[in-house]
Amino acid sequence: MTASKEFDNVLDECLERLLTKGETIEQCLQSYLEQAAELEPLLQMAVAAKKAVAVQPRSEFRAEARYQFHAALGEVASQGSRSFLGWFPRWATVVAIVLGLILVGGGTVSAAGYSMPDSPLYPVKLTTEQVRLALTPSELGKAQLSTELADRRIVEIIYMANKGDAQQVEAITQRLDERLIMLATLASTTRDVTQEGTKDGGAPEVLTLPSVEQPAPSSPEEATGEGDVRIETNNRAKLRVTVARYAVNHPAALRAVLQNEKIPESAKPALRDAIDKTVAGYERVLKALD
Amino acid sequence: MQNEESLVHRAQQRDTEAFAQLYENYFDKIYRYVVFKIGNRTEAEDVTQQVFLNALQSISSFKWKGRPFSAWLFRIAHNQIVDYLRKKTRQATTPLDKSPAISSDSNPQLAIERKLDIEQLILATKRLTKAQQEVISLRFAGELPIAEVAKVMDKSEGAVKALQHSAIVALRKTLVVTNNDSK
Repeated sequence: MTASKEFDNVLDECLERLLTKGETIEQCLQSYLEQAAELEPLLQMAVAAKKAVAVQPRSEFRAEARYQFHAALGEVASQGSRSFLGWFPRWATVVAIVLGLILVGGGTVSAAGYSMPDSPLYPVKLTTEQVRLALTPSELGKAQLSTELADRRIVEIIYMANKGDAQQVEAITQRLDERLIMLATLASTTRDVTQEGTKDGGAPEVLTLPSVEQPAPSSPEEATGEGDVRIETNNRAKLRVTVARYAVNHPAALRAVLQNEKIPESAKPALRDAIDKTVAGYERVLKALD
Repeated sequence: MQNEESLVHRAQQRDTEAFAQLYENYFDKIYRYVVFKIGNRTEAEDVTQQVFLNALQSISSFKWKGRPFSAWLFRIAHNQIVDYLRKKTRQATTPLDKSPAISSDSNPQLAIERKLDIEQLILATKRLTKAQQEVISLRFAGELPIAEVAKVMDKSEGAVKALQHSAIVALRKTLVVTNNDSK
């Protein structure tokens, strides 16, 4: 191997260590003392270049791009299913899919999960959501699931606004509003219980519905309830983070769509209403959480 | 983290969750790569979105054959950028330091420093050969390892390492690096 090739390899190895493993320039130089004088200025240049290009997408853009992409994903999913399901009447389609889910498991769930309101799979999506909510034992779990469902509604609003379907935008906004009201209620319920539990130093109760049978504890920590308290606190903190993020990203994504010149004028009033309801809805949830 | 090959396979079977995961894994890297190549954040946003929509449309045509998914995706990004730059003829671009999009940074002083750094780097990179520019873009903005850069560029790893070396030397000649934070 020539000296030049050897140096190319040494430089690349040091770059890998610096850029992906978080090592310092000094650590690299220690490994290659003979080439240190030549290496050092190049590594400094590389680190400066890496810092310079570390730009982050604007949060509004990230949110809008994500929703547009999910809407496109939903379209792909519904296109894939229409060719097969197009033969069936709508009610028969729903029954067939639900039966299929029961018989063979959740294979269709992901496709239905991304389906849009104009897709034959959409009623399955809504039914599946209701079932998931009903089967989620804790209030906190229901609240977390509700944030996921609110996120889906935003994707749907953007998708239908792009199609200029004001009626669908209004209908989905109504569903979103109801979801955020439920989320605020759940958030205030979990707050009351966890705060009651910690006021006098005692452990808070684990928030579960009594009618649902709980699995046996898998560790001694779990059996004492201490693990549950920690998990509950962590989950509540995660919920707060998710809601705070959505409270910014969801209205931002809708505003970005509203500013898009390609959006039909007919959909804009409904979109404005969706923005207002989203802002007000998340304010309620954050207030409940705080 | 799920195996990428499995995710890609599932995405090809129209598993939307798998594709959504791939999107999340690569979004920032593709965005940085596009910003670096175009030099304008607002325009880079449109191109980035288009890259993923193109990938979604053509995922079924992707075949492993020794080429990783990242190489395929960055090739789409490269083609999209070439296409964009070809179409963009007389239209004036907003310089990076005047782009209003950057004002979202929470620390204005940091934002100014960062903008200047990017602008300097982009200007300096324009003095490199096309191949050197591509290596710097893929390696630093796209954060690809040498092996994957080599796949994107259809070159040997040795050739890419040599290009990387010469590019950094050339960059250093044109840029005065005053930032010694790494020390």
